[in-house]
Order: sequence, then structure tokens, then C-alpha cells
Amino acid sequence: MDNIAGTKSGLTWAVHLSVIFLVLLWLFPTIGLFVSSFRTADQISATGWWKALFPTEQNLVVRAAEPSAQVLRDGVYMIEGNVFEDFSVGVIAHWGVSSREISAYQPGETAELRDGSSVTLEADGSYRVESAEEMSGSRGQRIFVTATTPPEFTLGNYEFMLFDPQNSEGMTKAFFSTLTVTIPATIIPILIAAFAAYALAWMEFPGRALLIACVVGLLVVPLQLALIPLLKFHNAIGIGKGYLGVWLAHTGFGLPLAIYLLRNYMVGLPRDIIENAKVDGATDFQIFVKIILPLSFPALASFAIFQFLWTWNDLLVAMVFLIDSSGRTTVMTRQIVEMLGTRGGDWEILATAAFISMAVPIVVFFALQRYLVRGLLAGSVK
Amino acid sequence: MTRSLWASVAAFALIAGSASAELKFTPGEGPFSWDSYNEWAANAPDLSGQTVTVSGPWLNPEDGFFRDVLAYFAEATGAEAVYTGSDSFEQQIVIDAEAGSAPNIAVFPQPGLAAVLAAKGQMTPLGDEMRQWVQDNYSAGQSWVDLGTYPDENGDPQFYGFFYNVNLKSLVWYSPDNFDDAGYEVPTTMEELKALTEQIAADGETPWCIGLGSGAATGWPATDWVEDMMLRTQPPEVYDQWVTNEIPFNDPRVIEAIEEYGWFARNDDFVSGGAGAVASTDFRDSPKGLFTSPPQCYMHRQASFATAFFPEGVVPGEDAEFFYFPAFAEKDLGSPVLGGGTVLAITDPTPAAIELMKFLTLPIASEVFMNQSGFLAPHKGVNLDAYKDGILRKQGEILLDATTFRFDGSDLMPAAVGAGTFWTGMVEYTGGKDAKAVADEIQSSWDALK
Repeated sequence: MDNIAGTKSGLTWAVHLSVIFLVLLWLFPTIGLFVSSFRTADQISATGWWKALFPTEQNLVVRAAEPSAQVLRDGVYMIEGNVFEDFSVGVIAHWGVSSREISAYQPGETAELRDGSSVTLEADGSYRVESAEEMSGSRGQRIFVTATTPPEFTLGNYEFMLFDPQNSEGMTKAFFSTLTVTIPATIIPILIAAFAAYALAWMEFPGRALLIACVVGLLVVPLQLALIPLLKFHNAIGIGKGYLGVWLAHTGFGLPLAIYLLRNYMVGLPRDIIENAKVDGATDFQIFVKIILPLSFPALASFAIFQFLWTWNDLLVAMVFLIDSSGRTTVMTRQIVEMLGTRGGDWEILATAAFISMAVPIVVFFALQRYLVRGLLAGSVK
Repeated sequence: MTRSLWASVAAFALIAGSASAELKFTPGEGPFSWDSYNEWAANAPDLSGQTVTVSGPWLNPEDGFFRDVLAYFAEATGAEAVYTGSDSFEQQIVIDAEAGSAPNIAVFPQPGLAAVLAAKGQMTPLGDEMRQWVQDNYSAGQSWVDLGTYPDENGDPQFYGFFYNVNLKSLVWYSPDNFDDAGYEVPTTMEELKALTEQIAADGETPWCIGLGSGAATGWPATDWVEDMMLRTQPPEVYDQWVTNEIPFNDPRVIEAIEEYGWFARNDDFVSGGAGAVASTDFRDSPKGLFTSPPQCYMHRQASFATAFFPEGVVPGEDAEFFYFPAFAEKDLGSPVLGGGTVLAITDPTPAAIELMKFLTLPIASEVFMNQSGFLAPHKGVNLDAYKDGILRKQGEILLDATTFRFDGSDLMPAAVGAGTFWTGMVEYTGGKDAKAVADEIQSSWDALK
């Protein structure tokens, strides 16, 4: 009775659970990146992102206001303020005035300092430094606070990347030039590959099998091999570094996979339709445009997704063939790398940049994803 | 809709194209050497319509500071000077020079890389006049001339580049407040430094923060330690022989220096997180341990640029100070200083590029940069008042007073060693491998290059 169509097997739950588990596993790093993109650099280096979601007990070092802020009241010099001015409001567990004894005092108690002044800290974070003599120096007294603070997030990283005058112009420019690179670099290889794939799939000519073998062989050649010779060639024929060069390079590097994928899909189309069309007097070009292209749409769309994602995320090819030292052309990936700083320590920018640059590929993916699954099976099922 | 989008794109492109650089500091004001600038500007040729391109490793925010410098060149000559930075400059300049699309001027972070390009004939010598200028105007001038002189494609030594933006490596950072709280004194000799290290550990605290992590370059902070130890245990001549491999890497004197580093880094009580954490701690996160509550450590040996990685709100000179990584009192080797820096060289000569190099030798070209960033100038003519803060000025003075200045050895060694096996070897040594075995391996990787 178990195998009657329509009833659910007990294993379904196991399947669902393992799917959920796998999805979470895959999403885990992305969630971490996402949470980090809302944290400051100091928060990221102090605690892991998983701790950012809950109230945590933190040890903070706070400086009281500078001695120049002191006021004379009843013959006593006083500085007042609140330690939570720079941090989100929390609850103080204990505190101290020396790095050696950071939890020497309870809230409400008064600490005597070596120079004769005293510090009082209340549970709400307000402090008072008192001294009989005038206080000097340029830095305020350090107060070590152990406090439980609620989660704290900031939009500052996104603001810095998108709206900071120093970056916004560069980001906009990079965004448009990335589109200028990716759109032709996606369309050109599809155009060429579709023609080639049709010829390799349906036109009889000597050496066809050998050509197909060559294309498959090109799939395994790493593109790094071609960087310097190709750039030399571009310089020699006068293209130099620029959009035309990077389009040609992306086209060349994308073609083997495109031809291979499309040819395998087209070979799987029913022979009868094509033969009928031939009998009715259609030329090869008519067959290609009227029959093959519409039928191959899933394969074309799925290759378009691949090629778009790869050119969008590309840094290497753009660096070699596009970006010259005049600084007039750039791409998003490179703009982001520049923002990471000379020594690359700005993790918060990296996390934020990842989400900003992801936006366009996600839109493209969702627009075309229904073709992706069909296209992925391209050529594998007859 | 589409039309208005394109219109705004076009308008944007126009604005972006017409935006001209403004001068950061008004001429005639501030602690800058305007006289020499005005004198040069009065005689500078009119280069309107020409473009000079400069590529280098500086990214945000240093790239902006360098563009501020270039603006003064543009102002005086009418030429457009463009700087582009890259985090993979070392790879890109090789590809561009090889393919013939190099920038006019390149900023090399490692003299070793400049030497490679010089040997292929891809750089242009600066000539005797410029060499004499460096000789006369830099403190310890001859050592800077030597660092900028490489054999050309015929094997003849030529002067190719001068140094611009130098950093000091022999510095130990600490928090004066934490030293006060614990009652520690700043050590002036290596013996005292070791005694202090032992005392802090005996007090139940952790003396050092050491982090070697740096992505693909993991291990380089340890090479700086070893180079500093080399200069403190051996005369500078031995150091020079070591970086050129005249004495082998597995020489007992080198192994001694490695083990001196190991004395600090391989003791669980001496380093934050224990010896096992040293290699996996990122060098950019490591200095933050000085300022946590309670402090994770009391001292951090790092170059002058360490201030860039201090947490927000820490004021260098007030909350953080440095002391010179001291020499052994018993060894009488003076006070050697280890440093690094970037060298400027011409990779595609044009009259405008040569004029820009002349401009960059002016004090103003250093002063505008050093007023905004951790930039140290070996140029004796700069106004020390232009340093951004007291702490940098103090470092600038150490640099100008240095009797023995030696360049970061790993940057002088062939890249396969200095940016390869030396790094990985130090990670292995820190992880517990025997110093002799590590040195043997590095030497055999060096032999393989010959």
C-alpha cells in the first residue's frame, strides 16, 4: 500500500529536514556576512557576529570628559557625564579605574585615585570626578566598565559606501562601467555561440567531430595562460586597454562553454521538425531563426545567467584588459577592493560591499531562474 | 524614462569629467615649504593637455592624500596627473610592463620588484643629477642611493628610483596608562625588555600581542622580528650578507636571530592567546589587544603604520605610545633601525613624467602627504612641523638621526624567498618546528633559484 501514487512516504519528512539543513548550512556564511555588514570595525574584531544578535556582557574602556570640562562647585572641581554617551545604554555590573582591577567597585561606590581625586559611577552610567585641586592634562580619567549592552547595529557602512561624497561618485561610475562591460560581454558570446552550436549540431561538413573535440578541449585551458599574450596582441593591433578589449576577452573566454552547452542542447531537439522544415524548402538560416532559436531559449537563458554572473564578479580580466593607469575606467569589484584600504583590514566594508554588489546579479537571477533548471538539463536528456 | 536616465548619465559624465582637483592647503599658509615650490613652479614648463599616470599600492585613504600632492603639480604645469592604486600592484605592474601598457611612473612597495623590472629593461634610469640629489638630501644618503640602484638589462648598475614614504619597523607600541597602572618602566635595552617580559608574565599578565595573519602574506610580521633581531645580534655587514645570501640562511648566526624571536613568540606565557594563536591572529587585529579591558597584552612590536589599526577613539601620543625596540647593551652594535618604504621609478618616460619626478623631490610633495597620514620622509629638507602629530614627528627624527638604517630584508630577497618561503617558514617555526630545519628549507629554496 505504501507505493500507491499520491500517498506520502514516511521518508518525505527526512527529505524535507535534510533539505532545510542543507539550505541553512549554505546560508550560514551569508547570514554572518549580512550581520557583519551592520556592525562597526571595532565590534567585528571584538566579538563574533553570532553574539551581535543578543545582549552581551562587555568590558568597555570609557574616558571621562577632559579636564578642560571641569567646573568649580562648592570649592570642589567636578567633571560630570555619562559613560554611555558613545555606546548604547546598558546595565553596569561592576567597574574599576585601573586596568589591573577592572571590577573593583559596584555601581554607586566611590573610587579614590592616586592623585587625590575620586570617581563615582552610578548604575545608569552617570559619573562624577571630584578633586579638591584643579585637574590638569589633556585626557580624561579612564573608567573600566563591565556592562550588559543590548544588540547594536549601524547603517553607517552602507552610508559610507553609497552616500559618502568620497565614494558615491566612484561607486556610480563603477556601476555604470560594470554594466557597460557585462551586457555586451554576455550578448556577444551568446550570438556567436548560437550560430556555431547550430552548425556543429545540424550542418553536415567534414571535420565537424574534430571541431567539437577542439571546443571541448578548450574548456580545460585556464584563461590565466592567455593574459599576457592576449594583452600584447591587443596593444599590437591598436585596441589597447578598453571596453572593446575586455568585451573580446570575455567573449573568447566564454565561448567554449557557450558552444558546448548550446550544441548539446540543440542536438537533443527532435530531428523530425528540422527535416520537415528542410523538405518544405527552408534554408539553414530560416531553420535556425524560426525553429532552433525559440526552442533553445532555456539553454540561452541559462548560459546568459552564467556569463552575466561571471563577468559581473570578474576582477582579473577587467584588471588586465580594461583598467589602465589613467584611472578613467573601473569596475565594481575593483572599486570595492580599493575601499578595503591600503592594508586591506576593513572587514566591515567587505561585508557591506558584498551585499551591494550582489543586488544586480540577484535581480538577473530571479528574472531568469525559471529557465535555469530547464537549461541545466540541457543536452543531458534526449 | 529611458531618455531622462540617459540624460542624467550624460550629465553625470560631464560633471565627473570637468571636476578639477582643488588644492588641499592654500599656498603660503601652514608649515609647508612654499618657497622651493614657488621657485620650481616659476620655471616649470607648460604641460597643458598632457597626462602623467602614476600607479602604486596606496588605497583608501592614502590614495586621496597622494592625489592632493599631485594637485600641486597640476596647478603649476597644467598637466593632468592621475594616480590609480591597486591591491595587487605587484602582479599588475609585471603584466602591464610585459605587455607594454605600463603607467608613466610606478610606486614600488618592494625594491626587489623594481630590480626585476630594471633587469628586463622596462624602467628608465633617473641619471646622475638625481642620484647626487638623493646622496646630498637624504639622511644616510648612500644607503638610499644603493637601495635605488639596480643592474639594467646589460648588467650595468644604474640609479632608477628614490624613496618616498618610508616607515619605521623597530617600534614597540604600548599603552602608557596601562604601564602606569601596573608600574612598569619603558625598557631601554634588550636585557631590560626581556626582564620586563618575564616580570609581566610573573604578574599573571600577558606581555605581548603578536599576530602573523595577513591573508596570502601570512608570516611577514615574523620576518620583521627576525630582521630586527639580526640587526641586534650581528653587525650590519652580516645583515647585508644575509639578505644577498653571501652567508647561507642556515648559518648559525641567522638561526640565533630566529631563536631570539622564538624566545618571545613561542612561550605560551608571553603571547596573548598562547603560542598557538600567533600564526592565526591577523596582524591588523593584533594591536587592538593593547586597549581592551582588561588588556590582553602590554606590548606590540609593529611598524609606524600600526596606528591605523588602533580602535576608534585611541589617540596616538596620548593613549598609545611607542618605544624604540631596544638593542642589547652587552653587544655594542649602536642603535640600528629597520625600515621599509616605497620607491618611485619611471616605467614609461615622457617629458611630463620626468617633470613630475622633479616635483616629487620637492619638500612640499612630502609635506602635503605627511601632514595627513603616517608618512615619514627621509628627506632632510622637509619641515618637521608638517608631521601630522608628535608621535610621527618623533619617528621622523629617529629616521633622520639613524646611524645604521637597514631596509626590510625580506623585501630585498628574491620574491620566492622574501615573499614566499621566509614567510611560510616563519609560520612553521612559530608553530613549533625546529629553527635549524626551517632555515635549511629556506636555504634550499634559495639554492633552487640559482
